[in-house]
Amino acid sequence: MTEEDVPAVRTGEVWKVFEQEAEEVKAVQGVSIKIERGEFTALAGPSGSGKTTLLNLIGGLTRPTRGRVWVAGHDLTEMSNIQLARLRLEQVGFVFQAYNLLPVLTAMENAEFPLLLQGVEDAERHERVKELFERTGLSGLEDRRPGKLSGGQQQRVAVVRAVVARPALVLADEPTANLDSRSSEALLDMMLELNRELGTTFVFATHDARVMERSRRLVSLVDGSIVADESRES
Amino acid sequence: MSKRFHVVSRLAVRNLRRNLRRSVLTSLAMIIGGTLLMMSLPLGDGTHEAWIESAVRMGGGHVTIQSPEFRSSRKIDDRLPADVRVASRTALSRAGIAERVLIATPQLTLGGLASSAAGARPAQIVGVDPASEARFTILDEKVTEGRYLEPEDRLAAYVGAGLVESLELKVGSRFVVTTQDAEGEIAGQLLRVVGVFRSGVPEIDESLIHIPLETAGEWLHSGDDVTNIAILVRQSGQVEGLRRDLGRELAGPIEVGAATVMGWREAMPALDAAVRIDDFGNYLFQGILFTIIGLGIVNTVLMSVLHRYREFGVLQALGLTPSQTGTLVLIEGLILTALSGVVGIALGLFITFYFWGDGLDISGMWDEEWSFSGVVMEPVIVPYFRVARVIQALAFMFAIGVLASLYPAYRATRIDVAEAMKFER
Repeated sequence: MTEEDVPAVRTGEVWKVFEQEAEEVKAVQGVSIKIERGEFTALAGPSGSGKTTLLNLIGGLTRPTRGRVWVAGHDLTEMSNIQLARLRLEQVGFVFQAYNLLPVLTAMENAEFPLLLQGVEDAERHERVKELFERTGLSGLEDRRPGKLSGGQQQRVAVVRAVVARPALVLADEPTANLDSRSSEALLDMMLELNRELGTTFVFATHDARVMERSRRLVSLVDGSIVADESRES
Repeated sequence: MSKRFHVVSRLAVRNLRRNLRRSVLTSLAMIIGGTLLMMSLPLGDGTHEAWIESAVRMGGGHVTIQSPEFRSSRKIDDRLPADVRVASRTALSRAGIAERVLIATPQLTLGGLASSAAGARPAQIVGVDPASEARFTILDEKVTEGRYLEPEDRLAAYVGAGLVESLELKVGSRFVVTTQDAEGEIAGQLLRVVGVFRSGVPEIDESLIHIPLETAGEWLHSGDDVTNIAILVRQSGQVEGLRRDLGRELAGPIEVGAATVMGWREAMPALDAAVRIDDFGNYLFQGILFTIIGLGIVNTVLMSVLHRYREFGVLQALGLTPSQTGTLVLIEGLILTALSGVVGIALGLFITFYFWGDGLDISGMWDEEWSFSGVVMEPVIVPYFRVARVIQALAFMFAIGVLASLYPAYRATRIDVAEAMKFER
């Protein structure tokens, strides 16, 4: 099996149960899913359906109560915290609802942060970020701190940060929730373009109809279980 | 790895600049602490140096060579044998030892009785070589009447003011000293007062008499024998090394019980205890001060961690390991304490030496002379600088920085990344 044949994500009967005031909350219940490389997939469902928890399980941000999660062939349940951090650095990019740029770094420094952690040389780092900034309409904003950028601009920087290290997978949790419709459209266009051109796998947790419309696969969750999984043409 | 450390360090510096007011306020506490520390250490050391200097120059020196029994007996029978004196002289002139010795002077120290027409008083009689003793002792500077002993003097005495008063003597008066001689007989000697001193230490002023060693030898039939050789070192830090080296040189006599080499700490245990107690008091005060400052830093750094809970979650989501997140917090705490510590120490040194380089006059705090354990408390404290103290202060402040940042750093390593993402500031 070549690297290309290995799915970007696979979960096997994965469960996540939280203890809340002596009560068990089953956020994810026995989910098995396979996401191939290059997919543009949306996990949809109402609040509390387990989308974000499933995304966190796939990103190695939280550990499953039962079941297994594989990212690019690596079994996350067997990994130490250090190995998980390494995997996130090399294989996974995140885009958050609240952008979550580091306020003390400029747009450029935020975008190149994963490359800095990977020890990529200055020249290559700057070249890769500059190219992505040009493609995403961020040129000229390199030296601005997040506080001096609009919400749409901040989210675009966050997307560049997520894809700059060429990860196998980008996980985006409600990336358009804080954006107006124009910015949302522009951001989705940009992510689709990156998906097509770079082959990056995108997985969204969303209840934004625009994201669902554009995704090529829509997985619906209710009460932590998959209730529908449909492939479609975007 | 070093690149990651560089990234983490850069983030730490930026975070400190981001909360400039909080960083400056925390730094101020450390700067004040560092300043106080660096003011108190040289002044404390200066005080102790003055105590030690005063005690050793009025007594047996920084290091003393004597018979082991002499310390408790104070008898002429327990004087240094002639061969030990020769061996001592040879050892003291040996390369490696001679350079550290400022002066070595022979003394014949005995208990006896001083009497005049007005009565009799117990006395400590010290036979000295006037030429070398004048370079050794500070008693010659404490003269109130007459002069100190001179090499040509015979039957002369330099007497404490208290003893002079109680025996109703004055310069030129004659009085008699009596003690046991080398043959075990009680022997008296008529002496003339050539000088009177007031050291400020009552027990010295009321009993001490210096007489020429030659006079003592003739009077007590002890020839040029001595009870001890008192040695001053050039730098107070050389005492222990010199004591050890002399001990090695005189290993033969020491082994057969004919001699012992003592440092001032052993010879003057009361003074040693006083220095240690004073040091302990200073350390206790500094410990309390820095515990309070340290808790302030813990609070600041911990608040900063809790405030940035979500940010640390993001950092770990982006690939920073828990230990690297903890290192980030530790570096922030260390930069804060190290920088402010260096500024505080520099400020403390500047204030101490610029304003009190010639001494801090605290005579306004007490009206009369004060003494203890044969030591005069000088009303002017001259700060004493030691590089070791600067290193010690830096290490101390560095340790405070590490200790104060450890718990917040630990908290940062224990972050639940998924939970941190939900965290709202």
